[in-house]
Amino acid sequence: MLLFRSEEWIDKWCRRNNLERGEVLAISQVWELSKLWYQNRLSLDYHGRSVEQVAEIFKQAGLMSKFWRV
Amino acid sequence: MNLIMDNNDSPLWQVRAFIYNHFADTTQPPTVEETARHFDISTEEASELYKELHNRHALFLETETLTVRMAWPFSAVPTIFKVHAKGKTYYANCAWDMLGIPVLLQSDAVVEAVCTETDDLVQLEIKNGQITNYDLLIHFPLPFSRWYDDLVFT
Repeated sequence: MLLFRSEEWIDKWCRRNNLERGEVLAISQVWELSKLWYQNRLSLDYHGRSVEQVAEIFKQAGLMSKFWRV
Repeated sequence: MNLIMDNNDSPLWQVRAFIYNHFADTTQPPTVEETARHFDISTEEASELYKELHNRHALFLETETLTVRMAWPFSAVPTIFKVHAKGKTYYANCAWDMLGIPVLLQSDAVVEAVCTETDDLVQLEIKNGQITNYDLLIHFPLPFSRWYDDLVFT
């Protein structure tokens, strides 16, 4: 996942690398996703996640499109 | 410290937590020998646990080695995503992970990163749970279902 100044630069990068455009999120939305995704990662109780747990995190972060289907 | 053997998976998650906390404390993962010493187990036993954590996508080993390259969001190798927090400098694997490090550390942070294509160096501040520099974008090139196909690319 790479950081960009604008949509224009994302399109240029995709063209230059002959890659399809993926999903673009505002950094504020990724910050909210990070809080859900990484909050308990240091804990001894963190044993990875089930598919259902991943889907719930995406849902809470507002990521409901096919791109985020688990 | 001895491994607690209360169920078959328990040693695995104790080693996982040790690797993550070592990363958080030192900015680098422990070697398999350091992990073996910490838990008073053989290097072979620690090696098997490292491999199992890799197989379960709990961390990522360099190809055909026992060297931890990624324990998300941490990177053991320098990247263009640098996070200054708790008086240390960490490297993140990607633009998402650069935000994950302050969350994981529960810390304010200053992030220095390079924008793709323009090569601009940008600085973000995370303070009291808020992030500055709202106008930046992060591109996820692959859908979730393909993230584990090639983790270095992802």
